[in-house]
Amino acid sequence: MKLKFVFFLFAFFATSAIYATKIIVVTTTADLKSITELIGKDKVDVSSIATGYQNPHFVDPKPSYIIKLSKADMFVTVGLDLETGWSPQLLSSSRNLKIQKGSNGYVDASVGVTLMQVPSSINRGEGDIHIYGNPHYWLDPVNGKQIAKNICDGLEKFSPENKDFFESNLKDFNTKIDLKLKEWTLKMVPYKGVKIIAYHNEWCYFEQRFGIIIVDFMEPKPGIPPTPSQLVKIISEVKSNAIKVIISSPYFTTSSSDVVSKQTGAKTIVLGTSVGAFDSIKDYFDLFDYNIDKLIQGFK
Amino acid sequence: MNYFTKAVLIAIFFSSISSKLFSQNDSIAKPDSILLKQIEKQLNSSQTSPSPIQVRTAPSTLPDISVIGDFQGSYKNNVKRNFDAGINEAELSLQSVVDPYARADFFFTLAKDPTTGKFTEDLEEGYLTTLSLPAHLQLKVGKFKSAMGRINPVHSHALPFISLPDAYESYFGEGIDDEGVSLSWLIPNSLFYQELVVQVTDGPIDNPSFSRSVGNTYLELVHLKNFFDLSPNATLELGFSGITGHNFYDLRTNIAAMDLTYKWKPVQFNTYQSFTWQSEAYFSNADTLNHKVVNSFGMYSFINFQFSKRMFFTGMYSYTNKPYSASTIENSFSATIGWYATEFQKLEIEGKTTSSNMGKEQNQILLRWIFVIGTHGAHQY
Repeated sequence: MKLKFVFFLFAFFATSAIYATKIIVVTTTADLKSITELIGKDKVDVSSIATGYQNPHFVDPKPSYIIKLSKADMFVTVGLDLETGWSPQLLSSSRNLKIQKGSNGYVDASVGVTLMQVPSSINRGEGDIHIYGNPHYWLDPVNGKQIAKNICDGLEKFSPENKDFFESNLKDFNTKIDLKLKEWTLKMVPYKGVKIIAYHNEWCYFEQRFGIIIVDFMEPKPGIPPTPSQLVKIISEVKSNAIKVIISSPYFTTSSSDVVSKQTGAKTIVLGTSVGAFDSIKDYFDLFDYNIDKLIQGFK
Repeated sequence: MNYFTKAVLIAIFFSSISSKLFSQNDSIAKPDSILLKQIEKQLNSSQTSPSPIQVRTAPSTLPDISVIGDFQGSYKNNVKRNFDAGINEAELSLQSVVDPYARADFFFTLAKDPTTGKFTEDLEEGYLTTLSLPAHLQLKVGKFKSAMGRINPVHSHALPFISLPDAYESYFGEGIDDEGVSLSWLIPNSLFYQELVVQVTDGPIDNPSFSRSVGNTYLELVHLKNFFDLSPNATLELGFSGITGHNFYDLRTNIAAMDLTYKWKPVQFNTYQSFTWQSEAYFSNADTLNHKVVNSFGMYSFINFQFSKRMFFTGMYSYTNKPYSASTIENSFSATIGWYATEFQKLEIEGKTTSSNMGKEQNQILLRWIFVIGTHGAHQY
């Protein structure tokens, strides 16, 4: 009995020591979690606030997230105001100086990413316009390399003794992106220039990378639910452009796309916008595997 | 020049700067013309290619500025003027991080006096919050809404009903926002969220339960917040508050309060459906004239149901005595339907009936239109 107790104590402290050496990282989205895990591997303990099937614009700032953030060594954010409705409040309530904006533990994954749709003027009459540009940049796998670099830089600041380890993992990540990008692009080459409709304006980076053309959106303006007049316009566009596919995201209902589908025969396909959107999307690479295979099935 | 006018001038100044900063060149990257060539180029490069220089603004150095308009219309029976309408209140907020160690939040209001119809300016809240104290402590100094229960810390425009619960109004009027110091401690509990808040403030000037003492009696408050994640979609919050201070009779009033909130919101479709059940109870112990002690009680309970992306329904019941009269009994029921056009605009209509053993039954229909311009910080969960 005494021996068992000693063994338990040893196991407890050994586990605690291993845990204590890990860098505790909290990310806003599951994609950032996946990339952080691929760069940090066994040196990091990562959790994400938003799930993969959740709209990252609208996450409820539950107090329980404050507990995670209060213990974090590093905070990784998509930035560009994507999480403006919830992450600033959580950060200021965390009482953790290490992860406040401007601190070494605050990593803005968008730094260095070439942004699309940067507005030259701001007017809420145009809907939910992001003042810095479209924030869905992780949906271009090439931008994944820049995200990984930013995360790698953040980890190196916290743990410079593991610099070589992180950079080696970054190199492996970039190599895999390059290989997979060739595979994904080759698959999509026959569909270059194919026109589609999207629910929300969150696919511009994906569109540019893989050469599809988004003709219009189900939302008349970003963040505004589809209106009857918009549906009439979409039905007309689907018919005149012989569009076969409408893409949506897991957190939007498909009721309005179904109306268009019924009228035109176009298929509604729900793509993954983040890792974990569907069970088979377990990491950042799976996200593109899933989306490209789904799109091609829809085009056929 | 009073501080409201100054605040407006500051807001105009910052707006003019921000409009210039926000105007930048549209540097959208050109679409790929030859995809395969680009891939080959990327594969030949072992390093991530440097991104083209892209101008980004730095608005974090400017405070977030917003103005909230609150237009209201009403019909009330048993009053001389049955119909009324107009801007009830305008709120100007300035919120920003001060430096790596603190943030500041200011809320100025221009509110209509219901009797005179004139607008009066007020500093509703203005406080500094630390970001870097050790041991998970957070200090707040200035004028702020007391951390009592669930309604008091929330600005009225963010509530899902127009008329405050009668129980809350009986004991706290339009709410306690007071000047002083607040210290909160995030209790190191890995099982669930626990926060302890201790506040000492001057004491409100105009409040049904408390008044400002000319001596060394202050308003002292303790609040313990317990928050549980029941599932990814459901949460429960249980709070206990104790508040003590100087009262109208130059004596002391003590109030113990309890709040319970259940929220259900499916993570995947959280913008389409939600359900909240929130209740608070107040137990008041007031030392009054000739040290006659009055023990009284009030409570409210409401459900808020979101049945589509834009439509909300709130139903509320309230029971209350008065702080200095346990024999007064008021019962009220209200129903509110809200249409939320976007995060920046909502329209609500409410019907409310109140019966009292001390007077006639009162019925009212209220209409409220809330609209926001600028950037307004998120409200508490």
